[in-house]
Amino acid sequence: MQNLRRISQGIFLLIFLFLFLQTESKGEDELGYPVKIFLDFDPLIFFTTLFSAHAVAGAFYFSLIIIILTIIFGKVFCGWICPLGTLNNMIGYLRKKSINEASRDWYRMKYYILIFLIVSSLFTLQLVGIMDPLSLLIRSFSVSVFPLFNYSIRTVFDILYDLNIRGLVDILESLYSILKKSVLSFQQPFYYQSVFIGILFFLVLGLNLVERRFWCRYLCPLGALLGILSRYSLLKRSVSEGCTSCEACASVCQGNAAPDKRENWRNTECFYCWNCDDVCPENAVSFGFATKRAAAAMDLGRRRVIVSMLSGAGAVPLLRTAPLSRSGFSNPKLIRPPGSLEEKEFLKRCVKCGECMKVCITNGLQPTLLEAGLEGIWSPLLIPKIGYCEYRCTLCGQVCPTGAIKKLAIKEKVKVKIGLAMIDKGRCLPYAHATPCIVCEEVCPTPKKAIWFENAKVKDRDGKEFVIKQPRIDLELCIGCGICETKCPVVDMPAIYVTSIGESRSKKNQLLLS
Amino acid sequence: MDRREFLKLAAITGAGLSIPNGLNTVMNTLEASEKIDLVVAHGVSPTEIIRAAIDALGRMKKFVSRGDIVVIKPNIGWDRLPEQAANTNPEVVATVVKLCYESGAKKVKVFDRPCNDPRRCYKQSGIADAATAAGAEVSYIDDRKFKDVKIPNGLAIKSWPLYTELLEADKIINVPIAKHHGLSKLTLSMKNWMGVMGGSRNKIHQRLDESLVDLATVIKPNLTILDAVRILTANGPQGGNIEDVKKLNMVIAGIDQVAIDSYGATLFGMKGSDLGYVRIADKAGLGRMDLSKLKIKRINI
Repeated sequence: MQNLRRISQGIFLLIFLFLFLQTESKGEDELGYPVKIFLDFDPLIFFTTLFSAHAVAGAFYFSLIIIILTIIFGKVFCGWICPLGTLNNMIGYLRKKSINEASRDWYRMKYYILIFLIVSSLFTLQLVGIMDPLSLLIRSFSVSVFPLFNYSIRTVFDILYDLNIRGLVDILESLYSILKKSVLSFQQPFYYQSVFIGILFFLVLGLNLVERRFWCRYLCPLGALLGILSRYSLLKRSVSEGCTSCEACASVCQGNAAPDKRENWRNTECFYCWNCDDVCPENAVSFGFATKRAAAAMDLGRRRVIVSMLSGAGAVPLLRTAPLSRSGFSNPKLIRPPGSLEEKEFLKRCVKCGECMKVCITNGLQPTLLEAGLEGIWSPLLIPKIGYCEYRCTLCGQVCPTGAIKKLAIKEKVKVKIGLAMIDKGRCLPYAHATPCIVCEEVCPTPKKAIWFENAKVKDRDGKEFVIKQPRIDLELCIGCGICETKCPVVDMPAIYVTSIGESRSKKNQLLLS
Repeated sequence: MDRREFLKLAAITGAGLSIPNGLNTVMNTLEASEKIDLVVAHGVSPTEIIRAAIDALGRMKKFVSRGDIVVIKPNIGWDRLPEQAANTNPEVVATVVKLCYESGAKKVKVFDRPCNDPRRCYKQSGIADAATAAGAEVSYIDDRKFKDVKIPNGLAIKSWPLYTELLEADKIINVPIAKHHGLSKLTLSMKNWMGVMGGSRNKIHQRLDESLVDLATVIKPNLTILDAVRILTANGPQGGNIEDVKKLNMVIAGIDQVAIDSYGATLFGMKGSDLGYVRIADKAGLGRMDLSKLKIKRINI
């Protein structure tokens, strides 16, 4: 069974990595792969989104499959499917084996986290993405691990390319081009939060060295949810009379489920990894379908449950008393991707999974830190100085699992304003320095250009008069895509820049009369 | 029949006898030797008008030899569809690729440094698919492959990083599209070379006309085919509005970029001398803009 389980874990991890790599444009309008499908199967996101936004993304009905699976077979998702679980499992092998591993009695912690998340979502606060294992994994891979991986490989090949070793260059270059076509990204990705998110992720992995599958055992809220669902699962473990209490099972148990305790085995903690069955020298352990309960009762402690609930409820007003929550208060830098819902609705849905940032064709979508308040940490914002919103690209809406960013057809997308461009006349070459430059107008993508020229008469230092084209912005036509800012030759602090005012999704953050 | 004509006929007959199937080639070569400067070919099929235009210039063999590595440089600057006329027509590019291979080219490379996302530009323009199908090696620009090139007589730029795959090619064919442009008025063949410039090329707009001429002193295409199958008359260079597109069903081929751009201006109701870079290039002796002094062959198919 152990090998079978490993094969299953391997297959799902590979599918996960494959889909992750496919979350990238190949120039087509669509990606061609269901890249967000792991999130679609996530029942935790299903519930919190249902509670916070009273909405269900169509594809989320997949998560019912996991729910049913868990009710029948127990937490097989954790033991056989979850890619983060598999990674934790693998890293765990790096830990020196100690037979008397003093496993901690902390398994209740994850239930308190779950209660906190569920209760806060009932009060419209969607914080699940911070801890949801799939969101965490995809975000960390997108923003940190994959950029790190790319940077390492690219640096090695760049150094070898510069060395220009005769005879070796061609071989290396063809190897490099194979890597580029398979596992590397089209261009090196850069993210503002790569260090922070990376450290958190490596911390999660590193905890395996403290105790194997620390995250899965003590922290994972999805594991907790599935634990509750597996409380009455049909697949049960039973221990026959042959048991000699040798405790061999306890030392191999992945879930810290106290398999040596026989009837007091904690089935809500069991990953159904079958290790105890495999290892038992007396062959006394078996799994089978039974209706009879053969497990310890789950006691979370009433007071602690109440405290978790109160903190979940209390977190809502705490986070909502920042000025950003004030009606009509807008952060000019918070440029949301096209198709994003109105900010409050957006935050109720966004699970900070980072899919949109991974797929963004220009790398312009970046994770927020506090631009959208603590509530909106790691949600996407466009930073045009890094990358603009490609006029005919609709990928972010296609990969968003919760509909925080609506999926738009190109026809609709090109009409969505995500902000407006303004000119800094003190830095713009034609305005401030009487030097010709038309880059913003040239790259402006609207069919009737939102940037137009006024022919202005200016004088040079010697008093010689000449005509220069000065860019002006038609605010009716400008969609705030930011390509003007990205391409502005005043590279350090662009002389034209986009802010969120005028964004279609907001009623209040508007400038024009109509 | 005077002596000269007799000799010519004898030469043709002799050559024709020695290479029975080569008669056409020789005829065309001889015709071309009368020195046609520009060919303006008009017709509904891009493939046919390009073939006719190149034949009229003396067939592709005159430009591409057996074993050559050829770079074809279309305009793939924008994430636009072929009918929006922001990029070179894909059929035009594919036909030129095929002609190169028919003349024995070893490898034909197609690339551009786009303004929009390269993947979308290559795909949506239809050029990547069409050129690949024709056998070309279509690649994205590799940032490591730029090399600083000195421009000794540069008016505005004294040196600029240019793409080595272009510099190392045996033959270079420029395949631009004729479009409106906000600053240079029109973008034709000379401006198409911005697509092999590395670094922050946006800066050259400060002295665009001079910079384009500077570029023309170091990049010398063996052949230029200006795509005017569709031209973009306003909101260039990326357009997006079908109403700004005019279907001319035309290509203009020649060796002299300045002459081609001068002719290209007439498609938009302008003169070559209306374009700063054409004027300066003409003055610098890089080519000739006076159309009245050029031998222009017109073909209608």
